[in-house]
Amino acid sequence: MRRRTFLRSLLAVCGTLSFASFAYPLLRFLAPPGDTDKEKKVTLAKKDIPVGTSRVVLFDQKPVIVINHQEKGFIALSKVCTHLGCLVEFNPATDILLCPCHAGTYDLEGNVLSGPPPRPLAKIPFKVEGEQLVIG
Amino acid sequence: MVKRIRDWLEVRIGLDELIRQNLTEYRVPKHINLFHALGAVAVVGYVIQVITGICLLIYYIPHADHAFRSVQDIMTKVPYGWLFRQMHVVGSNLLITAVLLHMVTIFLMGNYKRPRELTWVSGGMLLIITLGFGLSGYLLPWTQLSYWATTVVTSIPTAFPVVGDFFTRLLRGGNYVTGITLTRFFAVHVSILPPLFVLFIALHIALIRRIGLSATPFGKSDEEKRPLTEYRKKTHPHGHPYYPYLFQRQVLMGIMYFIVMFAIVTFAPTFFFPEEATVPADAFQTPENIRPEWYLLAPYQMLKLIPNKFLGILMQIILLAVFIFWPFLDTHKEKNILKRPILRGVFIVIMISLVILMWWGRR
Amino acid sequence: MKWCIMLMGLMLLVLPVTAWGDYREEFEKGFLTKTWSGQQPEENFCIECHSSEKMKPEYLRITDEWKASWHAQNRIACHDCHGGDPKDPAMSMSPHRGFVGKPEPNEVPEFCGKCHIGILKNYLESGHGRAFRSSGNGPNCVTCHGSHNIQQANIEIISEQRCAKCHSYDRARAMKQALFLTEKKIEELSRDLLSLRNEGVYIDDDRMNLFSIQADFRALFHSVDVNLVKERTDEFSHKLAAVESRITATERELRFRRNFSAIILLFFVGMGSVLYLLIRTPKE
Repeated sequence: MRRRTFLRSLLAVCGTLSFASFAYPLLRFLAPPGDTDKEKKVTLAKKDIPVGTSRVVLFDQKPVIVINHQEKGFIALSKVCTHLGCLVEFNPATDILLCPCHAGTYDLEGNVLSGPPPRPLAKIPFKVEGEQLVIG
Repeated sequence: MVKRIRDWLEVRIGLDELIRQNLTEYRVPKHINLFHALGAVAVVGYVIQVITGICLLIYYIPHADHAFRSVQDIMTKVPYGWLFRQMHVVGSNLLITAVLLHMVTIFLMGNYKRPRELTWVSGGMLLIITLGFGLSGYLLPWTQLSYWATTVVTSIPTAFPVVGDFFTRLLRGGNYVTGITLTRFFAVHVSILPPLFVLFIALHIALIRRIGLSATPFGKSDEEKRPLTEYRKKTHPHGHPYYPYLFQRQVLMGIMYFIVMFAIVTFAPTFFFPEEATVPADAFQTPENIRPEWYLLAPYQMLKLIPNKFLGILMQIILLAVFIFWPFLDTHKEKNILKRPILRGVFIVIMISLVILMWWGRR
Repeated sequence: MKWCIMLMGLMLLVLPVTAWGDYREEFEKGFLTKTWSGQQPEENFCIECHSSEKMKPEYLRITDEWKASWHAQNRIACHDCHGGDPKDPAMSMSPHRGFVGKPEPNEVPEFCGKCHIGILKNYLESGHGRAFRSSGNGPNCVTCHGSHNIQQANIEIISEQRCAKCHSYDRARAMKQALFLTEKKIEELSRDLLSLRNEGVYIDDDRMNLFSIQADFRALFHSVDVNLVKERTDEFSHKLAAVESRITATERELRFRRNFSAIILLFFVGMGSVLYLLIRTPKE
């Protein structure tokens, strides 16, 4: 009888432990992902980017090019080429973004014009708040 | 406090009566073995699939642009997402194995014979539904592996004349596997198959409970001897009570299922993730050596071997019909397969040819 | 009843035999390739002619060399460099379709630089490039990389055999030494990434990141300026360290997963064995 009781309690312990080892991951799994987006925002002063020029800022650890275009106003695009991850260069004379590695070209909307890139450049959302440009 | 809750429940749902009927006074045959618990193992497997499936559903995005990424995020970014995905993937393969084993043992024990024909048929439908789950779920991660395996499998119906092309187009939602196919398969996987599945498993279990467990050892008992003109529940008055006798064995087999699952997750985490499973689907590049999932290899290989398309697909349909309606074809009263050399021979030949076809289809 | 069903089954079997017209070949054509995918392998007349018997033996080699090349592996075909139209045999080599045959030696850098823009820029400004521009026939792309059988570049391209064809190996050796550690690191990291991928990890972000770093470094090398390379090596090792730390974190995570599921496995093994003993224990 004692052996049975012992085995039963052992079973209960094992059962609880294995149940717990699923319950904890499930809780972590369902917990909302950390709200870190707010800190990631990058603020720029509008006057730092005169019309016809561009600036590169780090957003979410990736370089983003902010262009102040004569006709289209502010444009923010990821600088990371979608082909193999090289950084594209903006040519203000032709309004084309060119990847130095394999000559992928993009227009100001990020769409692929020619070359190997499989996808358009990622558009980065931004807001104009007074004299400030808030990226993210 | 516990007593009050018990009383409250007793008045409303008759708890004691339920326990008495289903656990202690429900008796199972004396010579029951672990193989009788395989059905319960399949139920455990289904429950795992449902729970982990719902977990994955929380983060999965059924869109061609996001599906791959969302699955990769589940694997890398979501805490313990890998655990639930691994359980779902490994579980799906183990579940199909368990269901197949269940059917084979039922077949060998002759338990499909009258009056249990409908139990077998509903079981066969459940197998088809399970394979449907496997097939539709396979595409959802939107990897090279899933994309091309689905392309291969959905091309099978084209072998059927006249309506074959239409059926394939219907499955794919177009001429090729595209994002439309993905959403279709997603709908099939999470909302069309589950209710069908619940329907058939309810029927399956209700039939088992109504007719009563078939007795082993083999041989002719009263059920086989008397003409079946009226309903009589098969009871085992001298058998063991279901609880704890069979219940313990079912739990033990359920634990075995978990052990196999976590042995694979621990020691061979990439067993079901070959290289193509980490590459996003690319309609312009066919990987080498594409083939369907292992449980569809045998029919696929058979289709490839038979030179006449129509004959091939017809053979499949006939084989499937024979399989599902087997109890109506095999009306022999002898349950013991050892006393039926022809059936035994046919069974062995079928098993061997299935294994050969699978092995052949792999290459 | 039983016989009726059997007969019907047999009839169904016999029926298609009357329609046994198409044979395996047709079956495979119609069934195995028809609706498999949207993209059929494109016909390429360049390859077709250049590997046929009409071709001069020295041209015949070209297709085989290309097939073994890094370009072929990355689906860069003849017309991507030489122009022309691979789908139209009559016009395939027409200048109207942009066909450029063998570039003149002084055209080579522009020829390759159509795609390899960053490399071209640094090369033209380098000692090699200046020598090339002044003489029209100095060290250029194909001097080191070859033409059709181009392989993925690695540090071993800098060898005494190659460099000493034109100048003493001393400066090249110094360059190789300056590159060595960074190159080795890049190589090691890409190997690590590949092995992570074989463990089922999605690595494309880091693979692209690493490629970008490598491309920058290679572009820098093409300036053939040892001092410049030495100066900027620190910056590259920083970037590589970031990639490496992510790789180690992923490896740690994989180890954790293995341990975690091993523990769950142990719990179940324990539970199973206890239950087994419990079933075995005779009731008193």
